[in-house]
Amino acid sequence: MMRVTWITAVLAALFFATSGWASESVQEQRHDLMESAKDAAKPVGGMLKGELEFDAATAMESFQVWSDVAAQAGDLFPEGSETGYDTEAKETIWTDRDGFNQQLADFTAAVDGAIEASPQSLDELKMAAGPVFKVCKSCHEGYRVEDEN
Amino acid sequence: MKKSITWLAATLLVLALVSWPLTSPLSLSPADLPEHIANPANGELVFHAGGCTSCHGETLAGGLELKSDYGTFVVPNISPDLATGIGSWTTLDLVNAMMLGTSPDGNHYYPAFPFTSYTRMNVQDVIDLKAYMDTLEPVENDVGPQDLDFPWSLRRGIGLWKLLYLDQGPVVPAGREDPVYERGRYLVESAGHCGECHTPRNLLGGLQTSRWLSGGPNPDGEGSVPNITPHQDGLASWSAADIAYYLESGFTPDFDTVGGSMVKVQENMALLPDPDREAIATYLKAIPALP
Repeated sequence: MMRVTWITAVLAALFFATSGWASESVQEQRHDLMESAKDAAKPVGGMLKGELEFDAATAMESFQVWSDVAAQAGDLFPEGSETGYDTEAKETIWTDRDGFNQQLADFTAAVDGAIEASPQSLDELKMAAGPVFKVCKSCHEGYRVEDEN
Repeated sequence: MKKSITWLAATLLVLALVSWPLTSPLSLSPADLPEHIANPANGELVFHAGGCTSCHGETLAGGLELKSDYGTFVVPNISPDLATGIGSWTTLDLVNAMMLGTSPDGNHYYPAFPFTSYTRMNVQDVIDLKAYMDTLEPVENDVGPQDLDFPWSLRRGIGLWKLLYLDQGPVVPAGREDPVYERGRYLVESAGHCGECHTPRNLLGGLQTSRWLSGGPNPDGEGSVPNITPHQDGLASWSAADIAYYLESGFTPDFDTVGGSMVKVQENMALLPDPDREAIATYLKAIPALP
């Protein structure tokens, strides 16, 4: 009997632990997703700034990360997630959903274009990454809360 | 704060009356302008460096209302519309406005218009700027009068303020012969008017040049404007290449994006040639590091 209680307890603990894991809030998930996009931008930016040697494979890895971001971001801003986890999501995401969706579509198109271009030189990288960076900026401008510190 | 402003206002008013002759708006006469054939292509660069559109709008039609402790400033129409813009202005009118803060009808402008920075410009650049602005599209938009609280509504008092704060000298002199630094200094201290937001102001609204570019409260909203000196509270961790790249792309070294009122500034800076952004970076890495 004691044994059954123990097993139940362990199972229950496991259940809550894993469900806790699985139910990581969307606010947290989208934060992590944006962080991954930012981290992927660093090597590309380093090359554009002349701090890193151009490397076609590294650039493509970054594009792939952005492609994943583009695929996942749309589902991570549901109704009811306007606040929480110090989110920097701006209310315009919910009040102007069409505009936000357009930004996501622009981002997807820019990333697809970059992958398609598969840049083989620094100049080509500049051409490929430019439109992606442009969407990062314009979407943040309209749909992210600015922490003027 | 309100009370001290009222006291300051009263003191200023008395001073203004006593010093009436000193507060007369200054103007240049046509003979003061140098011989210079206007170059509208350079004028376009000056236009971007000056960030005219940041306040006056993409079409320069004005109308933006800037709320402040002194009342509401209404941004004028500076498109070349004859009736509601500045289409009827002469080149001399623009020089007097930008470099002396004096309007064509001989009144002081409020220093919300950053003539305290533009006063350091080369007059040739202002002449070129006029030639470029004349090529732009006129937009009819009557923005109406300024809406300042008393006593700020009395423009004459600005004459006194100008005696204190209208200074054409460099803020951070080079002390060495470096044309790149000098170009950067010129862009930051005059046309770019970076100090207007990035330098804290005193109670009279004058820039505290001893705290040059060390950041300050956000003039048009909450929060603050960052320190951009090479101090650890500022841009110490940014390389010159980081600064130039930020102005070109809008991305910080951490690959965050530019935000707030800096977006429009950065987009104007992106229109300058590479060496100009590099010059700005050189200057910002060389000025005194302040907390």
